[in-house]
Amino acid sequence: MLGLVPSATLLGADGHAVTVEVHVTEGGLPSFSIVGLPDTSCREVRDRARAAIESSRLTWPVKRVTVNLAPPTVRKVGSGLDLAVAVALLVASGQLTAESVAGKAFLGELGLDGRVRPVPGTVCLTEVLGDAALVLPAESTEEARLAGDRVLHPVRSLGEVVACARGEEPWPTAGAAGPLPDPPPLPDLADVRGQPMARYALEVAAAGGHHLLMLGPPGAGKTMLASRLPSLLPPLSPAEAIETTRIHSAGGFGLPPGGLVRVPPFRAPHHGASSVALVGGGTSLMRPGEISAATNGVLFLDELAEFAPHVLDALRQPLEEGVVRVARAAATVAFPARFLLVAAMNPCPCGQGGQPGGCRCTEGARLRYQRRLSGPLLDRFDLRVEVQRPRPDDLFTSEPGEASSAVAERVLRAREQARSRGVRTNAELPAGRLDEVAPLDRAATDLLLSALRAGRLSARGLHRVRRVARTVADLAGHHGPIGAAHVALALSLRVDLTGATPHPESVAG
Amino acid sequence: MSGRARADLAALAALAGLPAMGPRRLLALLRDRRPVDAWALAVADDPATLRRALGGERDLATLARAWRAAADGVRPDALLRAHEAAGVAVLAHPSVLADPPATPGGPRYPQRLVDDPEPPAVLFARGGLVPDGPSVAVVGTRRCTGTGAGMARELGRELAAAGVHVVSGLALGIDGAAHRGALDARASHPEAAAPVGVVGSGLDVAYPARHRDLWEAVAAEGLLLGEAPLGARPAAWRFPCRNRLVAALADVVVVVESHVAGGSLHTVHEAIRRDVDVMVVPGSVRSPAAAGTNQLLAEGCPPVRDAGDVLVALGLVRGRRHRRVESRPAPGPDAAVVLDALGWEPATFEHLAVRCGLGLAELAVALEQLVADGWVSQHGGWYEQRASA
Repeated sequence: MLGLVPSATLLGADGHAVTVEVHVTEGGLPSFSIVGLPDTSCREVRDRARAAIESSRLTWPVKRVTVNLAPPTVRKVGSGLDLAVAVALLVASGQLTAESVAGKAFLGELGLDGRVRPVPGTVCLTEVLGDAALVLPAESTEEARLAGDRVLHPVRSLGEVVACARGEEPWPTAGAAGPLPDPPPLPDLADVRGQPMARYALEVAAAGGHHLLMLGPPGAGKTMLASRLPSLLPPLSPAEAIETTRIHSAGGFGLPPGGLVRVPPFRAPHHGASSVALVGGGTSLMRPGEISAATNGVLFLDELAEFAPHVLDALRQPLEEGVVRVARAAATVAFPARFLLVAAMNPCPCGQGGQPGGCRCTEGARLRYQRRLSGPLLDRFDLRVEVQRPRPDDLFTSEPGEASSAVAERVLRAREQARSRGVRTNAELPAGRLDEVAPLDRAATDLLLSALRAGRLSARGLHRVRRVARTVADLAGHHGPIGAAHVALALSLRVDLTGATPHPESVAG
Repeated sequence: MSGRARADLAALAALAGLPAMGPRRLLALLRDRRPVDAWALAVADDPATLRRALGGERDLATLARAWRAAADGVRPDALLRAHEAAGVAVLAHPSVLADPPATPGGPRYPQRLVDDPEPPAVLFARGGLVPDGPSVAVVGTRRCTGTGAGMARELGRELAAAGVHVVSGLALGIDGAAHRGALDARASHPEAAAPVGVVGSGLDVAYPARHRDLWEAVAAEGLLLGEAPLGARPAAWRFPCRNRLVAALADVVVVVESHVAGGSLHTVHEAIRRDVDVMVVPGSVRSPAAAGTNQLLAEGCPPVRDAGDVLVALGLVRGRRHRRVESRPAPGPDAAVVLDALGWEPATFEHLAVRCGLGLAELAVALEQLVADGWVSQHGGWYEQRASA
């Protein structure tokens, strides 16, 4: 006897339709074999399904059982096919009729007691199931709704599935989607006292999509500042929300109440992260990494210099292309990886090296520390600011901080300006168009020329400063040619890394 | 020069290049021996005889082996010829070589070092005559502030212009800035005194490499001195020895900036051993780079406010305080506010924004102008006021 049940499996962040075929025969010794490129966790379905079937007071056929997962060329990973295998087996062994499950697809992992558990990637899996009604774990209902309108049957156990299929109970249906609950409030910029330059750097980063590097001693509030960035970014568009939700769903990064990721994500992987954890991959699972989880949001790398150099170098290609391609023997998958990179580091191992004369490190130790970061990666940071602990008296004399909502409005207007130039953000402006969209007035040109002559700026840095100056002008609501004030501010937002330039007193002339 | 004296000089040069051959060991080896015999003994791998020469040192067997290995392929006469070809004079202490083969017009063994409690048995020199006349060592930390570097450069310039030889170690930071100042003075007044650079490696091994241009300039304008033969790497033990020479060559040691445990405090210690006056440039009590120097002040070293204070201590002038001519364009109204808020301690853009109450854009413009006009220096996100352009 044969049982056929549609389901789906996940590869990277894409679902692939799978037909689970189970064949049960009397001939030969009782056995259970599973074919069609299952990985280890998928192969273990045998034990889970057997226990679940017996716990549900059904019968495990003491016969020759063959499970085929079609198409056999796609690798099947994880436990999401458990429910489909169990149902197909019940059909093949005559405990359910084929008609009772016709037109239904099944997703879910089985517990030994027969309960049905959610699996990662429900959004991506649901997308590929055509117009079949979907029987799925009750916890996954909200996620599955994001993949479009279809009939959903949320269930809690295998026993419930069998009861419905036998007509003892009606199939449960998912109620109409309620309004999405409000997302929990994001950390607000108003909490930051003083630190006007760091706040402004965040605003420019959010408005222009400029990557930001914060240099400063431990305890200067770098993490606190970075975590305020999502509250400055515009809320995700519906397409962006789905894109980020798919990644979070597929990678098991957790979804907010309501299932849809609507606020820009903030990901802060620890510096011990491996390159697979950061950019994605793995031998068979092909899981998206942190940089993809940060898509349409913020990737915060604290203690940048403590990340392994090869891990950081793996960031360069996605930073360039907005997509990360992970190639393995089994398959090649592409994940979106368009994120705002914010990094923080101490200027030197002792942490005090920013302040002139403050460092306790040897020259060699400082050089080794700075060499951990490759030039090409540092070059990606349009904004580099020194963040110092605010002095206690500054904390009390300074104005209370502006709230995120006020800053976010300016950011939104600046982003609209960028869109009118045909790019998402000013950071994407091609160098060839700068003269057209970011012309400089006389004083601004003079200022840049003197910075170039003094060696404070390189030719490549020039383009980056011009893009930042464009964002600075956009934020100020300035539409004409860029002025000296905008360029001066852009230059102040680009400190050279400590020690890169000597004191003027220690050079000839 | 007699062949015998030449052979001795060559042996001295070779001895000075052996690993861990500090000045004290070298003098001990040469106490009752001619340099050629000392060389033969040093490289004979004979710990027993070495023990008699060097006294109760511990691991002499290892040392003897190391010297034996290092001597492989070293031919003293060829080494001496290499020095002559490179224009490096080899100078022997008079007690080591009674009739030193003098090159007419070239450097001679400095008189100040002849009577030193721990003189170098042999010196290597590039450049002109060993200077007569007053000399002042200007030393300090490598990790200095812009203010400290500016002060060192100013002292170097004004002391050299007043005819005082500026002695220093050619290191990064204060040392280098003092030499740059002395060279500034040489460039504008031909009668300014020549700088003296004392180094801890062979005279052809510029260390730090970033200061190669400075080495060449000091050798061209003044004198470069060291205790190591050509090719010697800058071993860590050579720097304290270098510091002792800096102190021994000076009438006054001026410390511009020093952390609480800096190498310049070693120079101070050597100066005190030799009764050389130590003077100190006061720094901000909040600056870690001035913690060591302020400690010296608290212990009673006289302060240096400008080169005039040093000249008074040298007895060259009596209470003269000159007025500086300001050549920089006067700061505009915003810039004046910023300069006032900056004061004489390093500050970040953010500190200034909070202190002077200007908008970020106005502040950025004012700072760019101040940097361009030489009022302020910018270094890794920190701004510092400059005393002179």
